Amino acid sequence: MANVKVTINGKLIETDSTRTIIQAARENGISIPHFCWHEKLSTAGNCRICLVDVEKMPKLAIACMTNVAEGMVVNTKNERVVNAREAVMEFILINHPLDCPICDEAGECKLQDYAYKFSQGYSRFGDDKVHKNKRVEIGPRVMFDAERCISCSRCIRFCDEIAGVHQLQFVNRGDHTTIETFPGETLDNPYSMNVVDICPVGALTNKDFRFKSRVWEMSFTESICNGCARGCNIEIGVRNNGILRLTPRTNDDVNSNWMCDHGRLDTWKHVNAEDRITGPMVRKGGILVDVGWDEAMAKVAGELKLFNKNEIAFIGSAFASNEDNYVLARFAKEVLGSKHIDRMSHRIDGGDDALLIRADKTPNDTGAALVGIVPGEGGRDIEGIVQGIRDGHIKALYAIDDDIAQHPELEKVITKLEFFAVHASNANKSTRIADVVLASSTYAERSGTITNFQKRVQRLRPAVVTLERERALDGLTMSRLDKFAAPNDSWGKGPRRDSRASWRIVAAIGNIMGGKFKYMTAEDVFTDITHTVDAFKGLTYLKIGSKGALLQ
Amino acid sequence: MEKYILPEIPDYHTLPVYEQHGGYGALKKALTMKPEEIIDELKKSNLRGRGGACFPTGLKWSFMPKGTAIPKYLAVNGDESEPGTFKDRMIFELNPHQLIEGILIGCYAMGITAAYVYIRGEYGKWVTMLQKAVDDAYAKGYIGTGILGTEFSTHIYLHKGAGAYICGEESALMNSIEGGRGLPRIKPPFPAAFGLWGKPTTINNIETIANVPLILNKGWEWYSKIGAVKHPGPILVGISGHVTRPGVYEVPTGVLLTDLIDEYAGGMLDGKKLKALIPGGSSTMILRAEHVPGVTMDADSLKAAGSSVGTAGMIVMNEDTDLIRVITRIAKFYYHESCGQCTPCREGTGWLWKILKRFETGDASLADIDLLLDVANNIEGNTICALGDAAAWPVQSMIKRFREEFEKRVKPVQALAV
Ligand SMILES: Cc1cc2nc3c(=O)[nH]c(=O)nc-3n(C[C@H](O)[C@H](O)[C@H](O)COP(=O)(O)O)c2cc1C
Ligand code: SF4
Ligand code: SF4
Repeated sequence: MANVKVTINGKLIETDSTRTIIQAARENGISIPHFCWHEKLSTAGNCRICLVDVEKMPKLAIACMTNVAEGMVVNTKNERVVNAREAVMEFILINHPLDCPICDEAGECKLQDYAYKFSQGYSRFGDDKVHKNKRVEIGPRVMFDAERCISCSRCIRFCDEIAGVHQLQFVNRGDHTTIETFPGETLDNPYSMNVVDICPVGALTNKDFRFKSRVWEMSFTESICNGCARGCNIEIGVRNNGILRLTPRTNDDVNSNWMCDHGRLDTWKHVNAEDRITGPMVRKGGILVDVGWDEAMAKVAGELKLFNKNEIAFIGSAFASNEDNYVLARFAKEVLGSKHIDRMSHRIDGGDDALLIRADKTPNDTGAALVGIVPGEGGRDIEGIVQGIRDGHIKALYAIDDDIAQHPELEKVITKLEFFAVHASNANKSTRIADVVLASSTYAERSGTITNFQKRVQRLRPAVVTLERERALDGLTMSRLDKFAAPNDSWGKGPRRDSRASWRIVAAIGNIMGGKFKYMTAEDVFTDITHTVDAFKGLTYLKIGSKGALLQ
Repeated sequence: MEKYILPEIPDYHTLPVYEQHGGYGALKKALTMKPEEIIDELKKSNLRGRGGACFPTGLKWSFMPKGTAIPKYLAVNGDESEPGTFKDRMIFELNPHQLIEGILIGCYAMGITAAYVYIRGEYGKWVTMLQKAVDDAYAKGYIGTGILGTEFSTHIYLHKGAGAYICGEESALMNSIEGGRGLPRIKPPFPAAFGLWGKPTTINNIETIANVPLILNKGWEWYSKIGAVKHPGPILVGISGHVTRPGVYEVPTGVLLTDLIDEYAGGMLDGKKLKALIPGGSSTMILRAEHVPGVTMDADSLKAAGSSVGTAGMIVMNEDTDLIRVITRIAKFYYHESCGQCTPCREGTGWLWKILKRFETGDASLADIDLLLDVANNIEGNTICALGDAAAWPVQSMIKRFREEFEKRVKPVQALAV
């Protein structure tokens, strides 16, 4: 590794000799088009769109595989380069089906973008195109359209190098080249859907998202996957106030450019689901009845007052945010004086893998513990709470954002409780038993932070609106349609649920019971956390930013 | 002239006969020399590769790292799939021991302990022949551990291809030997740095290697005086097409192409007139008959004539030849053989063929001639391996030298009714 000076398009750049032209250019704000090159994969050099002119080299050189050298002079836009690029674009397009109007990738397609930027705008190809299979189930979660494939080999390299399984390979030759799974194999590795993201065209599509929406009709909000303690950085794609897909967002400290298929598919369907709790409910005559927030919260406050502090237990949640758990812990310990507070574990032993997946299936166990969801001095933990309910010492239970009735021991005794209040976003075992169900917002409907297994605090941002939180507030991004659609258009429509962030519900009940919670926003709660919990000292939402911040 | 690559001696392919005529003497001599001395001898001999690019062999061998413990390899290229080329198989058949001896000398000179001979898949019969020779040489202690009582050991493995022309390209050949898909690699890194299994590797053509024992036996001076000064030695020329006696002829380089047709191949078939000639396998540029006189079979002369030696597979075409059919067939070959890895070749070779098909059927327009040229130009020089160039050159040269053939075949423009 030696420092070298190179000139790219007349700009003098200092870099080191390990860099290729494409890397050195990129690091200095000069972009060179590329299809097959990917920053996290080995270099294939096959697409040839990155051909650049290097002085003293007789032929154009591929920027992705040519290392910089002292005194090198590179031109990425002279006539020779422009002509070569147009030629490559023309070649790629001659056999391309040009089915953008029905292609999911349209709007976020490298080929489409480059066709605008670097091609002539017309075709000289008048012969018959090569036809290939347009609907191949290449894996349980991924569809393959062979005609759209530009043979860049990114998907093959992803499986070999990142997922660590050899599932894909090229077959046939020339313009009949296509990708296939090895005999007896299917593209089913736990990370298979990342190939959809890195495929520069619409050849590999997400079966779950296929044909659901044009991407420009969606809004994209930065968030964090709630599927496990890794907390992969994601973008939530939303249309008509419903989530349509998740895609990974690059964060080299957490998830690189990837996320697992489980996170991508199984962690958000509940947000759109039919079984959503759409507002607060109180059990009357054995049946849960919709009530207003005031009535529901007054009911909880009134009930809790009937018990002494040793008879009430609290269960926080590793699915809820730091803010939710912090306010709950303060409510329990400071307002009601209870020491009985803990959280459920959702760890699957041996569930860690070598890439991203963590055995702890919750996003915020680390954070919940740090902000106070641990039993106070002499207080009961989960097993103690179960025992307390069984033997009648615990009479009231307040739980947030976890289906605690799934716990086999707890399930057996839970009906012995005299009062049981639960926060839930969806109907579950616990809501079927609870006396009061408080409709809490999902991770995709609120602002907040969670702390992953590395002790990295990361931001959740609202991607879906609720009655409480209309659009444009606090980090909610808007699509073109959100911004410009007329009210009579159906685009901006979609259900608005009467749910609230858990911290807000707890704070309101706390205030009824004599607490002095003055938070207006999640950020206010967070600021409070930074003052009282050492690990969070000095942090702000701004500092956490989009890539997170490590706790001390 | 005496024959050195394909001597006319009965049963020369058997070990006893080969030995009777001094066979493996060059190996014995080599084993008394220092490796550098052998490479030096080769450099001075001016031997240039017979695989198509005429690259100086001694220089190539000198690129191999010296004094290292890491394994190094020799891959000998007998994929021989370029249309018009059928010379290496004569060596497998008639003089396999000279090839083996050359391999052993190469291994000794470059410190190599394993050599692979890659043989075209369709050459099943010749694989068997060469394997027999290898087995015999093993039995006599020429190959194996402690060769001829010295410290030097090396092994020779035969590897049969599976029918892909691209596997003759040296880096695809290495991937194929490794058990992978025959995809050319991007260079650099060059094989001498990163070859088979990532280790330093030299790739040479079969005929190139078969020349090596001659140089050791008779000395570089003798060798360098055979044929053309800058491209010396005996060369196998495969002559096909409209000649009386097609076949493989061993000649000194520098022989007149007209002599090759008239003296060696018995003249034009049925006394017809020569129309065009492809001198070195289908990828080399075509020559018009009137440009052939005076041109000789060596790198310089053919370069000056606007073509190249290639594999010295000479395709002779008479006055009745439909050159549009010829070029369409050649284009189809490269289209069929493109590995499909890089964009210009993958897409461009098929496009060339499709346009040419239209010339064949009379459905092309005048503008298609320029389109053809453009497509060929856009492939040339922009690909991972030289197959792209090999597909472009014949088309470019055919248009350059026989444009009228294309013009004759375009669809007549219909006059518009007024
Ligand atoms: C598409 C393609 C096919 C080739 N096929 C052969 C072949 O069949 N035999 C061969 O010796 N060289 C072939 N070559 C050339 C080899 O890459 C390599 O240059 C040669 O084997 C080197 O040998 P030499 O230095 O002894 O000439 C081919 C090259 C290309 C680009
Ligand atoms: S499917 Fe997509 S990622 Fe895979 S080779 Fe084709 S274009 Fe590239
Ligand atoms: S030039 Fe053709 S044969 Fe060579 S690597 Fe590219 S696609 Fe394959």
